[in-house]
Amino acid sequence: MRSGAPAGSAGIFHEAAFYGSDEEFLAVVLPFLRDGVAAGEPTVSLFGDRNQQLVRDALGTGSGVVFIDGGRHYLRPAVAIRRHREMLAGYVADGADQVRIAGDVPHPGVGVPWEWWARYESAVNHIYDDFPMYGLCPYDTRTAPPEVIDHARRTHTHVVSADGQRARSLAYQDPRDFLATVTPWVEPIETGPPAIELSDPSPGQARAMVGTLQETASLSAEDRDGLLVSVNEAVTNAIRHGEPPMVVRAWAQPGHAVVTVTDRGRGPADPAAGLMPGDGPGGLGLWLMHQLCAYVSLQRGPEGFTIRLIAGQP
Amino acid sequence: MRRTGFLDAVGGLGRHDHVCWVFTTSGEFRSAAGRFLTDGLAEGLRVMYIADAPGDHELDAVDGFASARASGAAQVLDLRMYGSGVVDPVAQVEAYAAATEQALADGYTGLRVAADATALVRTPDGRDAFARYEHLVDAYMTRHPFSAMCGYDLDDLGPAAVAELACMHPLARRSSTALRLHATDEPGIAAVLAGEVDVLGHAQLRGALNRVELADTDGEVAIDGRDLAFIDHRGLIQVVEHIRGQGATTVLHVGPRSMARPLAGLLRLPDLRVAVS
Repeated sequence: MRSGAPAGSAGIFHEAAFYGSDEEFLAVVLPFLRDGVAAGEPTVSLFGDRNQQLVRDALGTGSGVVFIDGGRHYLRPAVAIRRHREMLAGYVADGADQVRIAGDVPHPGVGVPWEWWARYESAVNHIYDDFPMYGLCPYDTRTAPPEVIDHARRTHTHVVSADGQRARSLAYQDPRDFLATVTPWVEPIETGPPAIELSDPSPGQARAMVGTLQETASLSAEDRDGLLVSVNEAVTNAIRHGEPPMVVRAWAQPGHAVVTVTDRGRGPADPAAGLMPGDGPGGLGLWLMHQLCAYVSLQRGPEGFTIRLIAGQP
Repeated sequence: MRRTGFLDAVGGLGRHDHVCWVFTTSGEFRSAAGRFLTDGLAEGLRVMYIADAPGDHELDAVDGFASARASGAAQVLDLRMYGSGVVDPVAQVEAYAAATEQALADGYTGLRVAADATALVRTPDGRDAFARYEHLVDAYMTRHPFSAMCGYDLDDLGPAAVAELACMHPLARRSSTALRLHATDEPGIAAVLAGEVDVLGHAQLRGALNRVELADTDGEVAIDGRDLAFIDHRGLIQVVEHIRGQGATTVLHVGPRSMARPLAGLLRLPDLRVAVS
């Protein structure tokens, strides 16, 4: 038996909340957490530092709520998804009827480009639907840009207010429809000419290019290897699933490298491409890119389909 | 110590070395063979030059080769002694083993062969058999004083066919193959996988895996990947699936900075273990 608003439903119950003060935040989050514990459901608080401390201070010790550090968990969408699914599967295997998770995804208000978190919030309506998950995503209206607030209404089926009023979100869109509207943010370095441009490179030539970029970017070994694997995967996907000609462009500055791979095809059909290790063409390679890069953007345009990989800081 | 890696010259190779020499002109092959074999003579090895219907004097211009032929230290042989069809891998290894033993009995330090094997590998069946032979003889070489240079004509065979054979060698020209799968005498290691594996080499890797026997220890096959500069996820999965097909799990040995470590960590294949050394 699932407790609360999701009673009688199956799969993910994905609810957004909007708050403009610490009081409003706690007013919507604390009942969610307390009700979960009271119902004997695994209940997780997955916020960034400041909000997490507010919750801890309000609940005290021995609340029965599981605290997970949001900073590490929400490092990258594909990472968050894997961690969530492992956690959800574990609780369900232990007999949970419902798992409650309250958390906040990063956005430009906290200095992180929104784009792939928008994709995340939409895609999870399918990706977590395998589990009896009650997800509460509170958004801070003081810091979240208007686009983020608008997207929150379009990616959550329900909205709850600080005084407990709950309604379906009329703006909710099926992920396939929503994801078609997400456009990549502008990466400043791309406004200048690329340091390197390759036409129809072999994967080996593209990998060698990463070595050249590294001379300028001086990425950590981990980031460099991540970019190496990701560039190889992107070029491989273009060769196997895209349409020629393919163009690879790259920019670098100390601590930062950007590589785009463009082909004339349409790119992956699956809206959740990259967020899960998909069965679709190129799906596993795309997922690896999402695990290994600081940021991955997918875009369809007049030139065709472009993957943008960012290593170092986005 | 056996040498492994990519090279572009055949000088200074040792008694256990096995090199694939892809050439575009017969003069180029004869020149490399001459160098390889005279090095061998200097090491006290008996040497053989093998080609398709060679003339006895074909290498006599090479310093010391004519007198070596006269003394019996050097021989020129016709490739057709292998027969005109597809080679029998086991029989061929046995023949070279016997010749190596004979050379030792005759007071030489071992045997060295330079062979242009192009005529034997023009068909898919011929290549399949010869590639299997290459791996078997490679394993023999790790433990016996038999060294060989295997020549293949690039214009005659084409790059794909040449790559099928080049990749079975511990030593090859970089332009002939990106990856190598070869034998080692290191205990507990079934084979060495080196070079770079990406989408352009997946079919080649599959072929190579099908042409070697990978010994397992307690249900685990150990692959030495310490010289694997790059492998993509499909290549890694391909190796694991091949070994799974023989009922075993895979342990891949890599260096501490190998890119295979984070890759394997993400793939989380249940029957793959990565060991760092």
